[in-house]
Amino acid sequence: MGKDIFEILVNGVKLVLVFLMIVQAVPILVWLERRGSAFIQNRFGPNRVGPLGLLQLLADAAKFLTKEEFAPAQGIKLLYYAAPVFALIPGAIAYAAIPMSVPIMVDAFEMFGQTWGPYKFLVQGYEIGVGIVFILGVSSLAAYTILMAGWGSGNKFSLMGALRASAQTISYELALGLSIVGVILLYGTFNLTEMIQAQQGPLSFQFLGYTITSEYLPNWGIFFQPLGAILFFTATFAESNRLPFDLAEGEAELVAGFHTEYGGFKMLLFFIGEYAHMMIAAGLMTTFFFGGYSIPFVSAAEVLAWAQTVCETATGASALTALIHFLVYNVKFALFLWIFIWVRWTLPRFRYDQLMDLGWKTMLPWALANTVFTAFMVYLAGI
Amino acid sequence: MPLGGIIFITVFIALFGCFLLFLAAKVGIAAKKSSVKMEPYECGIPGVEKQDTKVSVKFYLTAILFILFDIEIIFMYPWATTFKDFIASGNGLFVLISMLIFILIFIYGLFWEVKSKALEWD
Amino acid sequence: MTADSFLFFFLAFVTLVSGLAVVLLANPIYSALCLAMTMVGVAGLFVTLNAFFIAGVQLIVYAGAVMVLFVMVLMLFDLRHELAAFTRGKFTGTVKIATVGLLAGLIVGAIMMSSGMLSDRSAQASDVLKTGADTTKDLGTLLFTKYVFGFEALGVLLLVIAIGAVSLARSKGGTHAKH
Repeated sequence: MGKDIFEILVNGVKLVLVFLMIVQAVPILVWLERRGSAFIQNRFGPNRVGPLGLLQLLADAAKFLTKEEFAPAQGIKLLYYAAPVFALIPGAIAYAAIPMSVPIMVDAFEMFGQTWGPYKFLVQGYEIGVGIVFILGVSSLAAYTILMAGWGSGNKFSLMGALRASAQTISYELALGLSIVGVILLYGTFNLTEMIQAQQGPLSFQFLGYTITSEYLPNWGIFFQPLGAILFFTATFAESNRLPFDLAEGEAELVAGFHTEYGGFKMLLFFIGEYAHMMIAAGLMTTFFFGGYSIPFVSAAEVLAWAQTVCETATGASALTALIHFLVYNVKFALFLWIFIWVRWTLPRFRYDQLMDLGWKTMLPWALANTVFTAFMVYLAGI
Repeated sequence: MPLGGIIFITVFIALFGCFLLFLAAKVGIAAKKSSVKMEPYECGIPGVEKQDTKVSVKFYLTAILFILFDIEIIFMYPWATTFKDFIASGNGLFVLISMLIFILIFIYGLFWEVKSKALEWD
Repeated sequence: MTADSFLFFFLAFVTLVSGLAVVLLANPIYSALCLAMTMVGVAGLFVTLNAFFIAGVQLIVYAGAVMVLFVMVLMLFDLRHELAAFTRGKFTGTVKIATVGLLAGLIVGAIMMSSGMLSDRSAQASDVLKTGADTTKDLGTLLFTKYVFGFEALGVLLLVIAIGAVSLARSKGGTHAKH
């Protein structure tokens, strides 16, 4: 985590901050969801608590805290209580691996009578060399949350809901993993920062010996892998149990699925986990297909040069550059989260067999076709 | 790979979650036990003990096929990272053909599994 | 104690305790979940050996697929009756003690037999560990040059497993039996 005590301390605080950022983004997302869904459904959302209804989830959280503490008698207490706590872990660990901005270079400075050397702080939890493999591996641990919740409730509807939800999750993990192979073929690396580095500048690729450059489009992944992007985005809907793949919470069939016997704060923790998976999906979409934190047509060095005219110290300039790139990342990220919410309130829910057919018989063959086509393009055309 | 960071944040999140649940348990009202509330939820009617429920084998099949296809996808990952290096060193066609044979076997497996109706969910 | 050795001991402790818990716990669901924890611990140990890709694959395939299969199937069967029949009595007690003894013997034997091995190979191995080189590209290169036949054979093996699993699910008296 670092060589000396200052670096270890800063990295530790940064990890905690990333986790708290995920937890704090949930009220904002829930507000966006409730106001956005109200806008789509032509009604007012919550607009009483606080300005524009922004404090609604704070009030809801306070209400959830004072709910009755209930555990079903037929359930297994340990699993029943462990499942909501475990719901937070895979989402947060995976999200901390997504790069959110350019690294901040801190010059050597004096403090407490000792020189603390030049540092490079990454604006993410940690940097993983095999980025996407790690993120996929940790996200696949989310199936245990559902299974523990379903079994620990001691209720056969919860169990059926949990089994169906985990069967859905694992089916779409295949499409998720396969739709990314095209992106990895293009960039030749698993590392997310390197993928963002490869998406700088204007759109340019080689095709049969000619180099084609476009002045108007940035070198983003979406122009190289449109089908992969669509498949990936759809698969992440299923991974985070969002509509239209909402069968885990299908009220008409299973009451409330695996969280039937949960109430109060424990259920809120499940939804924090679901929103964390949504955030991972939005973060990965921007990283793979939309250039991550990079500004189109403006390289990070140019921003740093501009920032140095504003700030005197090199540390300040680097921090300002990181802030600007972080804001750009957030704009793209928020756009994808809004698309998640928009799709939820637009499309009806799939039936379970339609869902499984889509995952196995439609998305998997298309993802394979995408991989083969990309491989041919990379080989023949040298893209 | 920053293993220390990952372990630290895992332990932190687990403690944080336990703290939240503890807070909710302390601030909330203690459960008033009544025999009806403690029964498993069955849409309001009294539950019937499971008698010899026929276990559906669909979940097992889905999970097994998921493992198999997941392993095949895992094998595509090192190929994807080293494909451009192989092209640069001149062995591109060989690697492409060998992976195409692998994908063909994959497609045949998928096709057979769909045709034999192994994953019909009715 | 350096940070690396502390990490290794922590991960080894977690892995071993989870592994013991798999054998010693009475509830099969708890055993399966502890086995998943063991897989995660082994993935962590792979990371300490700089095998990052294999650690990720261990998480994806073992902890995320195989153990999910185990847990799902165990949850489908209501094993409470079988549980009561199996965990009482002297037979299971003896089996448990014998398993723990076997494990302890394996550990002691491995330590005794490897004390000479490590000093011979330590120069080469610790060089790789010190450089922290990313071995994924080497793995990919090896897979397609030296082991390409094994790679294709693996594809055929997976196909055979798929056919076997589906035909097993069609056995008489099950829900998917052929009419």
